[in-house]
Amino acid sequence: MTLAIHLPQAGLRRYGSLLSPMAWGALAVAAVVVLLSLFAPVLAPYDPDYVDLNNVLAGPGGQHLLGTDALGRDLLSRLMHGGRTSLLGPTIVVIGSTVLGLLLGLVAGWSEGWLGKVLGRLFDLLFAFPALLMAMLAIALFGKGLFAPILAMTIAYVPYVARLAQSLVVAERSRPYVQAYRVLGFRTPWVVLGRVLPNLIPTVGAQSTLNFGYVLADLAALSFIGLGVQPPTSDWGAMIEESRGALLGGHILPAFWPALVVVLVVVAVNVIGEELSDRIGGKLS
Amino acid sequence: MSQLLQIENFTLGFPGRPPLLDSVSLHVNDGEAVALVGESGSGKSLTTRAALGLLPGGSESSGLVSVQGLDTLTASKQRLMELRRRHASMIFQDPRAGINPVRTVGDFLTETLVRLDGLSRAEATERAVAQLEQVGLRRAGGLMDQHPHQLSGGMLQRVMIAAALLNSPDLLLCDEPTTAQDVTTQAGIVKLLREEQQSRGMGMLFITHDLNLAASLCERVYVLRRGEVVEHGPTRTVFLTPEQDYTRQLVEATPVIETGAGSSVAAVPGLDPTPLLKVSGLSKTYQLPRGGTVTALEGADFSLPEGGSLGIVGESGSGKSTLARLVVALETPTSGELTLRDIPRPQRPLRASERKALAKEVQIVFQDPYLSLDPRIPVGNAVADVFRLHQKQGRKEAKESSRSLLGRVGIGPERFDALPRALSGGQRQRVALAKALAARPRLLVLDEATSALDVSVQAQVLELVEELRDQLGLTILFVTHDLAVVSRLCSEVVVMHQGRIVEQGPTARILEDPGDHYTRNLIASRPRPLWDAEPVTA
Repeated sequence: MTLAIHLPQAGLRRYGSLLSPMAWGALAVAAVVVLLSLFAPVLAPYDPDYVDLNNVLAGPGGQHLLGTDALGRDLLSRLMHGGRTSLLGPTIVVIGSTVLGLLLGLVAGWSEGWLGKVLGRLFDLLFAFPALLMAMLAIALFGKGLFAPILAMTIAYVPYVARLAQSLVVAERSRPYVQAYRVLGFRTPWVVLGRVLPNLIPTVGAQSTLNFGYVLADLAALSFIGLGVQPPTSDWGAMIEESRGALLGGHILPAFWPALVVVLVVVAVNVIGEELSDRIGGKLS
Repeated sequence: MSQLLQIENFTLGFPGRPPLLDSVSLHVNDGEAVALVGESGSGKSLTTRAALGLLPGGSESSGLVSVQGLDTLTASKQRLMELRRRHASMIFQDPRAGINPVRTVGDFLTETLVRLDGLSRAEATERAVAQLEQVGLRRAGGLMDQHPHQLSGGMLQRVMIAAALLNSPDLLLCDEPTTAQDVTTQAGIVKLLREEQQSRGMGMLFITHDLNLAASLCERVYVLRRGEVVEHGPTRTVFLTPEQDYTRQLVEATPVIETGAGSSVAAVPGLDPTPLLKVSGLSKTYQLPRGGTVTALEGADFSLPEGGSLGIVGESGSGKSTLARLVVALETPTSGELTLRDIPRPQRPLRASERKALAKEVQIVFQDPYLSLDPRIPVGNAVADVFRLHQKQGRKEAKESSRSLLGRVGIGPERFDALPRALSGGQRQRVALAKALAARPRLLVLDEATSALDVSVQAQVLELVEELRDQLGLTILFVTHDLAVVSRLCSEVVVMHQGRIVEQGPTARILEDPGDHYTRNLIASRPRPLWDAEPVTA
């Protein structure tokens, strides 16, 4: 008698039941931050760039909920507007690296011959370069600002997605349902893009969610060292950098708030990403 | 005779759900072999595990489960450990799952003897080697230094039996111990279990889904269905004169070799001189990654006329699946010829257009219906996709065709939008069949297509295949390990062993008068009921 092994299949189940309280909290934090940033022009109490020299380094409360910075700019408004640039970068990077990574991963996983091997080595090579180093290289080439680091980060995060997609595709292609498609005479592009790709998306999505947090922190770091977003544009990393002088003078709040938001968002995104991958991983075991 | 294992009104379930086991009562006496038969999900394993105090976490139970007077539902951890170590052993279905792959067989066997029984390493080794020899393993000394991956499944199951017998248990619990094994391996293990049970006077509870196997090993039987014992008694009485409808269905569904039945499929007389499928000198060799080659199929020759039905029978590693995959072009032949409807198969991967053309000639249904359907695609759409591709039908028309074809294979319209996971194994296999038939092939390859199904479901699916074959004039290539299934469905049979065809001819002739030594062995290995056992010729 041949034995039937009923393996649940990779990333193919819906997410199903309720999220953990931890993930609910993370989701709430992320939602609040995203909404406040998105609607900053409407919701922000002040113009983020309005300089009020009579009211520098004001404490929280009163007219300014979170206080002001060394130029008297409202910190809450700057945080909300800063979220727009600080979240935009990672969003573009994650979308770009996911799309590119999925495509390359599909090709690498599907082709048995040299192409798969070459792509695999290429991913290894990219893994070897730290994302920050690549970003600095790009900045040296294209100049400061958002464009260069986003381009570099997108490339740097491609292998994280591609390697995962590749291994998933290798597993999927030997499954009987994919073989059945081949015997039925369906064309390979239809099978790969129309049938296999959707089955990878939950798992890859979990990885990309995790990537979002890392990219956010990396981009904030670049802005902090003055290579990313340039003043006076508000950005969380740049805000921390601008507040260094105040920090030395004993005023920690102008640096504390943006740092807190970065930490909150990165942790929230990580919790969500972990929850997604746990669920998918749990279905695998 | 004392009651070794006693289960009374045992009910087990999770709060708020219907019980998994409902008032199960059974007992095993000293020196008695008892079978517990039932289909998947009937609760056989749960019942047996409870005997060792292994209950699923969070479950609620009531009733009595006792082994030698020890109530395993309430016993302390300490007492249960003592029970498992000295008095009751269990053998599982998959021997590889129960042994640490990075340690040697010797480590595995001697560990408890040294650590818990205080034997010296030399004493423990001596005892383990003696036990290995007793379970029929040759060169037992050398085996002690080997790792699990170096042993075949059958050998490893013998090692597990040796481990179970090391502490001379009074009760042996066997959970489908031969289900993953080949028929000839199974015969050896069953014989060994019977001998050990008799000579040691052990009590044995043998779980199986295979009625033939139960009859070949056990004097008494309990039939379990959905957590309830529906019938019990002496094996012979229960199987020959079943009182309950369910038992009767099970007995009837259990495949037996039917000589003469296969001839209901009369081979098409010589009107059609060109066979639909012709294979000559077909070989497939695989390159191993570390160099060297494996020949999976060597010099296969046979032909299959249009409308015929051919069974390919063999055990694991016989090359039968490779042959099936070659026929549907999932593999490329290394040498030899394969001609399907006068079209020779090239020795290279097919082009997309060739593959599409081939799809209208030959289709395949795989073994495992849980893996052979795309989990994300509703079954109706899966079939409709094939109609759109091959019959050039529009979206609407294809849905209509899909609905009617699914209806024909017994999947009602209410299931049209269901995902595969909402269907049972039998239903999924029906969908897989419909998907293959939607391409309107002439030749249908069934690769162990009913092996993963429960016997009653298997019988229904086989019936469906027969019906479709007769209605559509399909040609059938049935790849299986099961001679009984072949005898029912195929007029001709090819027997394979280690990559070669050892015998071929009309099914009835081969089953009644096998010419080859291996075929004889294969037929003789089928479990025989105790009451039919032929006297051993001196």
